[in-house]
Amino acid sequence: MAVLLWRFAGAVALVALLGTAPAEAQAPIKIGASLSLTGTYGKIGTYQKEGYELCADDLNAKGGLLGRKVEVVVYDDQSMPATGVRLYEKLITEDKVDAVMGPYSSPITEAVANVTEKYQKVMVTPLAATTSIFKKGRKYVFMIISPAEVYLEGLIDMAAKRGLKTVAIVNEDTLFAKTAADGAAELAKKKGLQVVLKEAYPKGNTDFSAVLTKIKALNPDVVAGSTYFDDAVAIIRQMRELDVNPKMLGVTVGGDLPEFYDVLKKNAEFVYGATQWDESLPYPGAKEFAAAFKKKFKHGPSYHAAAGYAGCQTYAEGVRRAKTLDADKVRTELLGLKMRTAFGDYAVDQDGFQTAHKMVTLQWQDGKIHIVWPDELSNGKARFPTPPWNQR
Amino acid sequence: MLGQVVISGLLAGALYAMVALGLGLIFGVMRVLNVAHGPLLMLGAYTTFWLFHFLGLSPYLSLLVSMPALFLVGAVLQRFLVRRVVDAPELSSLLLTFGISIAVVNLAQLAFTSDLRSVEYLTGSFRLGPFAFSKSRVIACAAAALITAAAFFFLKKTRVGKAIRAVSQSREVAQVCGIDVQRIHLIAFGIATALAAAGGTLVSVMIAIQPEMGQVYTFKSFLVIVLGGAGNYPGALLGGLLLGLIEQLSSLFLTTQVNEAVAYVLLVLVLLVRPTGLLGGRAS
Repeated sequence: MAVLLWRFAGAVALVALLGTAPAEAQAPIKIGASLSLTGTYGKIGTYQKEGYELCADDLNAKGGLLGRKVEVVVYDDQSMPATGVRLYEKLITEDKVDAVMGPYSSPITEAVANVTEKYQKVMVTPLAATTSIFKKGRKYVFMIISPAEVYLEGLIDMAAKRGLKTVAIVNEDTLFAKTAADGAAELAKKKGLQVVLKEAYPKGNTDFSAVLTKIKALNPDVVAGSTYFDDAVAIIRQMRELDVNPKMLGVTVGGDLPEFYDVLKKNAEFVYGATQWDESLPYPGAKEFAAAFKKKFKHGPSYHAAAGYAGCQTYAEGVRRAKTLDADKVRTELLGLKMRTAFGDYAVDQDGFQTAHKMVTLQWQDGKIHIVWPDELSNGKARFPTPPWNQR
Repeated sequence: MLGQVVISGLLAGALYAMVALGLGLIFGVMRVLNVAHGPLLMLGAYTTFWLFHFLGLSPYLSLLVSMPALFLVGAVLQRFLVRRVVDAPELSSLLLTFGISIAVVNLAQLAFTSDLRSVEYLTGSFRLGPFAFSKSRVIACAAAALITAAAFFFLKKTRVGKAIRAVSQSREVAQVCGIDVQRIHLIAFGIATALAAAGGTLVSVMIAIQPEMGQVYTFKSFLVIVLGGAGNYPGALLGGLLLGLIEQLSSLFLTTQVNEAVAYVLLVLVLLVRPTGLLGGRAS
């Protein structure tokens, strides 16, 4: 009896130690990151920061992590990789943060990963979509979003299922866009489509007449643009001007933003886009996340915010399972972890490379985004084929 | 296909020529390479955007606002900043205008955010047989041609225009002849900035507007004036049309990826064969 009583007391003490009570007493867990709050990526970096902040709020509302409060420390890298490197050095060596989360964009992640690896810090990188970052033998980086290669997967898959035969691919000559275009070309060949043109254009290109004139002469069934925002807009406007009429027209980045329709108006109709996430997707907690986000920040969450949120939750889950902040133990847990968050599925291979998360393909219909691929996540039917410009 | 591409090239080229004329003017008169030329173009585009956004003003009418407004901005920049480096070694003016460029872009980011904006005004194209003429680009080309012609008329026929040319030929002699060189510098910088603003207004209808949209025009203008002959004003016209054509033709026969490379290779060749540019010399 006495033994039992002692055990009971011990258990109570243990619960008290690990549980919520000492959350006030112990120092908070500081999670550091540098994000692009100004500069080219300023807007998106801010969304990601909001994702991190909401994640910390949610963790704290549930008693913190390992019984400690969670605090997010964010610096501004001004969208510059070199500044990011300096800030991660500072976070780790001067601020002595307990953990780090990834910055925004592939180039900055690529640069700062060298720092976090050097200090053996686990870094979940919610917004780095470049495969090579994770295939360089780094031990502590973990990917959240789908890689660039599959951005156009939906478009190509839908085209193949509808019996289309030819595709023209254009891409901006930068790492992400090129990778997405290569992925699309590879997939098209696998699915029996013929790639009749594949051409890159330099960043900042504003006039696409020549390449579109070539495409018009080839008259492909599908035109796939591996784009950012400005170029996607310019290409679509010029396609109308030059009367280029594929049966399907898809772009990568940019096509998922509300601004896309604001800028192009009716010319955006029927255009396919790709996104990592949309709040209408049937993932557990997605609706609650979106509602809490709107309440806190007074605007809806973009996929960047959702990825930031999910990345932070994923790291927290790794810590919970490891029951410690020790990098190697958390790493082991994160490598084996399979979970479904508000952002969708998470699972990685031995390099921390994402294997489970699904890109979705959307189409602009009457000024709204409808998810049209994959079937199990769709909330609408694709309007096919895209009518010629002069018949709209 | 070739015809269509040549049309596109010339349409683009006219715009390049107008914007580059501004850069050439500053270089000709002051021997200053204005790296901030493109960012000033961006301010012109924003002027048009806000007038369109808030007042619904037609982007083409807003030329009447953006050009005078940026003339003033240019004059102020010249009066308080650029003036100090006109006689300094070239590196100083390069550093100064580079600094202005960074400041302008960052102020624009602060004031307007880096959200992409656009003026959805004139889309679609005119058709003529097998050829398509983009409405916005045809009008931009026509407007650019008109403005460039007006600028040439001004330089050739008016007293101030002649004074500007005199100063760009020889500042000392001009001064001796009683020309107020400081005033000419001010006016030239203002006109050049107004030309950039016109470029900004005209492209605002074609491409997305954002604080970093201008830099690419600095490079293109630089290419144009070196091709045509720095300090030679008709050279800017030739260089502009040439650049438009080179870009489009190299996209057609090679790939879009290399069109910039082709333009720069050509630049190097021109510099090797005719170091003073195609129309050479400083006579204007």
